[in-house]
Amino acid sequence: MDKETVDRVISPDLVSLEEPPADKRAVIEHLLDLAVEAGRVSDREQALEDLLAREEETSTGVGKGIGIPHAKTAGAIEPTVAFTRSSDGVDFGAPDGKPATLLFMILVPEAGNSEHLEILSSLSRALMNDEVREDLHTADSPKEVTTVLTNAIT
Amino acid sequence: MMERTVTIVPEAGLHARPASKLVETANEFESELQIATDGAEPVDARSMLAVSSMAAEQGEDVRLIADGPDAEAALDALEEVLSTPEGEYDDE
Repeated sequence: MDKETVDRVISPDLVSLEEPPADKRAVIEHLLDLAVEAGRVSDREQALEDLLAREEETSTGVGKGIGIPHAKTAGAIEPTVAFTRSSDGVDFGAPDGKPATLLFMILVPEAGNSEHLEILSSLSRALMNDEVREDLHTADSPKEVTTVLTNAIT
Repeated sequence: MMERTVTIVPEAGLHARPASKLVETANEFESELQIATDGAEPVDARSMLAVSSMAAEQGEDVRLIADGPDAEAALDALEEVLSTPEGEYDDE
């Protein structure tokens, strides 16, 4: 993804460094609310339904303490990534059994083709780097989180 | 070290259920298992994060690389996951 695309999908108002709920469904709603408040969701109920349907299929814990709930949904206005982090971790059913402490939500509109998979792929690639994960754990402002992500993805 | 090229059959590509099935299967073997799309660096087939980074789609060829005592059996098992249409997994 180029810088322009990353800047379009994530901004500091989509990042919360407050401790999120410890339950998977509640943390997904917490991430969704960031997107709702940022004006990126037209239908919260639809978006939530699509995110949970995807979790039903297989949980989105990808290991190394990362959970990436994602959906292509008619409830989204534009491609969006929201972020929060949990100190205790949330069970996202990761293959390595580790609770997720870095939590991302990806939403893209129905017309987005495979855009959600491109965002998922770019984000996953960036998060394979130990230093990027460490920087996300220690970032002390939403702006710093978006800077770390922009530099890691582009 | 053994290699095999396999075409992705599941409609979802290497995403969602097929991806988690692949990672789950890869973890059942002792061998080092890597997977790569055409021209890309191979990644650890036992890591969901790594497999998610591939964005491999239906119809795409992927290279499987196995190194270890059960390499051939591992390649057979991974090939089966990649060649089985979603919905035909026998564990459901």
